[in-house]
Amino acid sequence: MLAMLASVAGLAISVYLTVVHYSTIIPMACPASAVVNCELVLSSRYAVIGDSGLPTAAAGIVWFAVSAALGLLRFRRALLAWSSIGLVTVLFLVYVEIVQLGAVCLWCTAAHAMVLLIFLVALPRPEGDRVSS
Amino acid sequence: MRKPVARTPVWVTPLAVVAGIALLVGTFLLIRWYTTPVPPPPLNVDSTQRVVATITSLPASEFDSVGKGSANNVIKPVSGTPLIGPGGHPEVFYLGADYCPYCAAERWPLIIALSRFGTFSDLKTTTSSSSDVYPNTPTFTFHGATYASQYVDFVAVETTDRDSRPLETPTAAQQALVNQYDTTGSIPFVDFANRYAFSGAMYLPDVLSGMSWQAVADALQQPDSPQAKAILGSANLITAAVCRLTADQPTSVCSSAAIQAIEKTLG
Repeated sequence: MLAMLASVAGLAISVYLTVVHYSTIIPMACPASAVVNCELVLSSRYAVIGDSGLPTAAAGIVWFAVSAALGLLRFRRALLAWSSIGLVTVLFLVYVEIVQLGAVCLWCTAAHAMVLLIFLVALPRPEGDRVSS
Repeated sequence: MRKPVARTPVWVTPLAVVAGIALLVGTFLLIRWYTTPVPPPPLNVDSTQRVVATITSLPASEFDSVGKGSANNVIKPVSGTPLIGPGGHPEVFYLGADYCPYCAAERWPLIIALSRFGTFSDLKTTTSSSSDVYPNTPTFTFHGATYASQYVDFVAVETTDRDSRPLETPTAAQQALVNQYDTTGSIPFVDFANRYAFSGAMYLPDVLSGMSWQAVADALQQPDSPQAKAILGSANLITAAVCRLTADQPTSVCSSAAIQAIEKTLG
């Protein structure tokens, strides 16, 4: 259930960021300071996938949609594998924000937190009490 | 005898993951801290003069070959009472601050463009803030500099130094111009005699990242360099706006094909 909610929240954030990327009307609701600066992050070359021009947030839509489906179908192992891929990607993007760009995008961080939450939910639970002789 | 083995609490694994990620983020912050360039010390007077001489004596053919380059034309036509400067010429008014990285970027083309109409004196090198975006962008400050021209007057206000300490305050009349034409409050703000105005930079400051003043000056002598395309392209846009104020004088500057082509796009 928690994975589903996190997926829906992440999906909503990704849709918003994708719409902002293509829109000339909808503003980016985000402060622009030295440390927190969505505009700086989302106008960088890392905000698009290679030379495709597709925003990274669009990949987020696909990722969260698949997560929601896996959560709904209770494919726990598949969700763990999928969220592991997501977490590695998130760590790379956090590296880019902090080290390469020196600025953090609040919306991106919220989406990253959703990926982490989904990964934590998908982690295998410890087995019940065991006994030893 | 069978002894029960303690069950691993359910929160241990997630907590370990979160702690690991926190450690990784901390490492990223350390890497950033170690790799952020320290601001280079300002150049002495002789070195500054050499750099200024280099960037203000670029051949006209280079401006022509760059054209608009990679610059973003943010100059907009405005209407109002023509702004006349203290020398009786059309006034180009600039508002910025030394800490501001976009001002740092825009001063290069401003100096280059205005030097085609007159002469700057006492320019000093500085860098934008170390703690803002695009830290330590190499530039000059207009604070303490003077400009003389038979075509235009240039009035600059730098509100703070690179550490955000107060430097200069716009007069009431200058503030009124800012309020009227710079509705977003962005700096740098440049008003071309109330005929054209723009705020913000015409290119991103990252093109100057990690460069010394001399390295930028050297790059400007190569028309194909990213720095020349950005800075000289911006300088051409500014030159075209100034040419509109001076009735295309001097002709040696304003009659070039590149400037004439840009003038047609200014509106």
